[in-house]
Amino acid sequence: MLEGAEFYFNVDHGYLEGLVRGCKASLLTQQDYINLVQCETLEDVKIHLQTTDYGNFLANQTNPLTVSKIDTEMRKKLCREFEYFRNHSLEPLSTFFTYMTCSYMIDNVILLMNGALQKKSVKEILVKCHPLGRFTEMEAVNIAETPSDLFNAVLVETPLAPFFQDCMSENTLDELNIELLRNKLYKSYLEAFYKFCKNHGDVTAEIMCPILEFEADRRAFIITLNSFGTELSKDDRETLYPTCGKLYPEGLRLLAQAEDFDQMRRVADHYGVYKPLFEAVGDGSGGKTLEDVFYEREVQMNVLAFNRQFHYGVFYAYTKLKEQEMRNIVYRSSSFEVPIL
Amino acid sequence: MGAPAFQRTLTLAVLSTPSSGAPSAHHSTPQRTLPCGIQGSLELRGPLHLLSPVLSLLGLAKSHLPKEEVKVQRGTMGSMFRSEEVVLVQLFLPTSAAYTCVSQLGELGLVEFRDLNASVSAFQRRFVGDVRRCEELEKTFLFLQEEVRRAGQVLSRPEGRLPAPPPRDLLRIQEETDRLAQELRDVRGNQQSLQVQLHQLRLHAAVLGQGHSPPLAAAHADGPSERIPLLQPPGGPHQDLRVNFVAGAVEPSKAAALERLLWRACRGFLIASFRETEQQLEDPVTGEPSTWMTFLISYWGEQIGQKIRKITDCFHCHIFPYAEHEEGRLAALQQVQQQSHELQEVLGETERFLSQVLARVQQLLPPWQVQIRKMKAVYLALNQCSVSATHKCLIAEGWCAARDLPTLQQALQDSSSEAGVSAVVHRIPCRDMPPTLIRTNCFTASFQGIVDAYGVGRYQEVNPAPYTIITFPFLFAVMFGDVGHGLLMFLFALAMVLTENQPAVKSAQNEIWQTFFSGRYLLLLMGLFSVYTGFIYNECFSRATAIFSSGWSVAAMATQSDWSDAFLAQHPLLALDPNVSGVFLGPYPFGIDPIWSLAVNHLSFLNSFKMKMSVILGVTHMTFGVVLGVFNHVHFGQWHRLLLETLPELVFLLGLFGYLVFLIVYKWLQDYAARAASAPSILIHFINMFLFSHSPTNQPLFHGQEAVQSALVILALVMVPVLLLGTPLFLHWRHRSRSQRGPAGRQPDEDKSGILDSSDASVAGWGPDEEKAGCPEDGEEAEFVLSEVLMHQAIHTIEFCLGCISNTASYLRLWALSLAHAQLSEVLWAMVMRSGLGLGRKLGVAAVALVPIFAAFAVLTVAILLVMEGLSAFLHALRLHWVEFQNKFYSGTGYKLSPFTFASEEG
Repeated sequence: MLEGAEFYFNVDHGYLEGLVRGCKASLLTQQDYINLVQCETLEDVKIHLQTTDYGNFLANQTNPLTVSKIDTEMRKKLCREFEYFRNHSLEPLSTFFTYMTCSYMIDNVILLMNGALQKKSVKEILVKCHPLGRFTEMEAVNIAETPSDLFNAVLVETPLAPFFQDCMSENTLDELNIELLRNKLYKSYLEAFYKFCKNHGDVTAEIMCPILEFEADRRAFIITLNSFGTELSKDDRETLYPTCGKLYPEGLRLLAQAEDFDQMRRVADHYGVYKPLFEAVGDGSGGKTLEDVFYEREVQMNVLAFNRQFHYGVFYAYTKLKEQEMRNIVYRSSSFEVPIL
Repeated sequence: MGAPAFQRTLTLAVLSTPSSGAPSAHHSTPQRTLPCGIQGSLELRGPLHLLSPVLSLLGLAKSHLPKEEVKVQRGTMGSMFRSEEVVLVQLFLPTSAAYTCVSQLGELGLVEFRDLNASVSAFQRRFVGDVRRCEELEKTFLFLQEEVRRAGQVLSRPEGRLPAPPPRDLLRIQEETDRLAQELRDVRGNQQSLQVQLHQLRLHAAVLGQGHSPPLAAAHADGPSERIPLLQPPGGPHQDLRVNFVAGAVEPSKAAALERLLWRACRGFLIASFRETEQQLEDPVTGEPSTWMTFLISYWGEQIGQKIRKITDCFHCHIFPYAEHEEGRLAALQQVQQQSHELQEVLGETERFLSQVLARVQQLLPPWQVQIRKMKAVYLALNQCSVSATHKCLIAEGWCAARDLPTLQQALQDSSSEAGVSAVVHRIPCRDMPPTLIRTNCFTASFQGIVDAYGVGRYQEVNPAPYTIITFPFLFAVMFGDVGHGLLMFLFALAMVLTENQPAVKSAQNEIWQTFFSGRYLLLLMGLFSVYTGFIYNECFSRATAIFSSGWSVAAMATQSDWSDAFLAQHPLLALDPNVSGVFLGPYPFGIDPIWSLAVNHLSFLNSFKMKMSVILGVTHMTFGVVLGVFNHVHFGQWHRLLLETLPELVFLLGLFGYLVFLIVYKWLQDYAARAASAPSILIHFINMFLFSHSPTNQPLFHGQEAVQSALVILALVMVPVLLLGTPLFLHWRHRSRSQRGPAGRQPDEDKSGILDSSDASVAGWGPDEEKAGCPEDGEEAEFVLSEVLMHQAIHTIEFCLGCISNTASYLRLWALSLAHAQLSEVLWAMVMRSGLGLGRKLGVAAVALVPIFAAFAVLTVAILLVMEGLSAFLHALRLHWVEFQNKFYSGTGYKLSPFTFASEEG
């Protein structure tokens, strides 16, 4: 694609960019969070949210209010906004949107397969699925018994199909395999998305590539962390790492050899970006977890994405920021629920 | 010979205009045309308005008297002249009567409540529970309303006055609403489940009834061919190979995906046939008719069957039992049809009941909605009050017009009489700037609107609106001067004014119409003034009217200078020389002489006249603005500004541009007809004035002109440093002397009053919040920064001095726009109407052709000259008022008093 997005970007995507920037302005502010902290019941949260851009999104909910209702409604709202963007988008932005939904679709597919494995009813699982990752054939996932089955019968028509190339196997779907499948899917998804952004060039690449690189590296770290003490072999582990991050190739090789958290930390120390992050992690008692640190870094990158104009990254950043906001609200609200012992 | 003749004629004809009084009309009209006759209730009257500054002077002179008296006196008169006195009042509402009191205040709309709990977030306030209950109720109302709307009925607007219900009624309303809503939900739920059942039955019938003919194997040619015989019509002799069926219906949009998924998942172990239903079925949820796809899948193998069931489940298909034999199916079909008949009857019964419930809702809902809205508003207002220390009463604070205080007191007493303890209102001192309140009626509202659109006036600042009533239409008319166009506009506005009370006109929803309608009095005056200036320009649809006989005589010229036939044949242009006796008989009685419309130099004559008139009007208008500033300074007691700002400004403006006006008028009054060639040029004089030089070819207008001019320029230039430095230095001096004196003399006083205030506050039981809201610290006096004041004054000075020049030039738009209007209407006449009139001598042809031509002329006149030109002239008049006039005295940094009222709740 030609360089110089500012010349033609607004013709196709100017409206949506303006819209998403307006939406971004509606994110909760520091003051809102201070008020939320003061809340004492869920009703208070609801009243406070009414004064923000969420408006009367809970107005039609019957009592009693629960956290899951708030969560569902917030997701629905985000989904409505996203659908609007998507319905009004032109190529290549619409492909970009498709890529964005893919990660949710992967999560949903895995969730459903896990559910099927545990013999839960589809309806029960469906509630937990992220609305952004919905697709028609989704519910039929549980008819498949092997990954290739899954691919041939169900997913061949969805945008997920290309990511399946690496994961075709005749293994039965047990818990470990599903997890492996998820990570492999994610790996090829991230690589494809990264390639798409890179090929698109321009500001989009400048903004999105670092974000996706970070996402890839984060996954690599998390996979490493989660694989400690499991039967996953080191070679298998290495095949799961997405290869589009900054860690590729040396860091990934080192990570594959890591055996505990300290070794992982030593790998990260070689990288200026990740060193401070690992330093910020508290040790065991109190302090931040690695996950929190990563979230913070992600939010920071997403906020910075709004400093540039004429690129698609704002849509990605907005969705991620909104998700973080929803996590915050849910976290805040869930402290009101009396834990049932 | 042409040029001097033009020059002469020009000068002479101009002579006639001062007597016609175009420029002087500007000033004499305010008293004359004030529209008391149209709206009797208008408070501004000519004499009063002249008197008021005098009275206000008196008021300040009497400042040793108790301030209240004087202020009230001033407040009651001329509420249009400056905004009314608004005071901060404190209301003590006994807890038991607070609700009724506030609801009464809402009906009256007198007080603007101040939020005393600004630091308390929305959900921690006192009445948040009640507000929440009201909201709950409104939610239920919304549900009911939605149901009524879905049934295709409308809610009527409630009639009569509905006061906010007493708080105990809330429970009753809530109960009844809940009961109603529950009933409605039940019935609706019943109806829906019945509809869903009916829908199912119909689908079933459709599936059975379409009697899928034996699925054609050809549709799935890649299926193994040896299995084709197995797919003979069910009932055929194939008992050994069990062929099973799944039949059902699916939404058409999903059918293709379903078919593909089935194919991929089961790899040809099935044969599916899809078919669209013939009838459209009503969707039970949305109520919209839609077609469905019915399908019949034949398969073998139990595993495949399970898969198919899962897949159909995930597509939310309706699956129906499907008998293998024809007879079974027919029987089932009959049964289904029987059932659906019965169901329809039940459904009809349910719907009748539903409509009964809805009728009840329709009757009860509208008044409730208004009442609950009012109740919520009352609680929201009460949320802004603070609670006294003893919890016996609520304390509210608010702005209220001083004039309305007795009404307020009375209302509070009346509504709290039941509670035994009376609600009290009393004024409290305040250093905040009070809101601006200017009462308007339907006549003055549009003019006030013009001013407010620029900025709501500071509290008690001179209000430009009363002058705008006259100057706005006048300046508009200067640009729009045409008798015919003005008359059309006047008649249009008159029609609106006469029909203003008709409900159809009043309640029209069209936004453009509403804009015109709300400005109808403005339009009326604009039309009227345009007729007047049209007479002065002597133009009616660009044609001149000869009401009086012209002041020029062609006959006299012809006889005196012996125009022979040969002379006439050679000269297409003839000059009338006013020096020849009998040719110029005297000025035309009113406006421009009609003979000018025949003259070739018509335009240059009019240009000179209109340009000079614009300058005169502009300078007068601006001077008036500066003078109005005097009343501001006097009212706010800033005497130093009178001497250090207004005086230099006036000298600067009048010394330079006032002198220009003088030159123009002086030259108009001289008779230069005899010595036209040597007539002085004002322009050259004015330029020379600034250069301190004189040109020998340009004769002076009067004796000693140069000395006067030099003196004026020097005087004006001297005024610039005075304006620049006067106020800052004076303020600096005052601040220094005060701060020197301060510790000894002034401080104790302030301290004492502070103590008094705070003790008063503690008696009244104020919390810290209220105190803060009541007397916010005003740092204006304490923090005096010389550089800031200097900077501010420097900006003001530069703006004023440069503004004098640019603003005067800006008034030339009056000339430009009126020229454009005249030329445009001239063009329209010449291109359309005149060509039509000159079509032919034959009566018939002309008569027929004139009908469309006149139609075109009329349409173009209205569209271009009235609407387009009118809008443009309006815009320029608006600019002249906002920028050139109002920036001389009007700051417009106030905010409007917006009293707590139920007006929006009732609407």
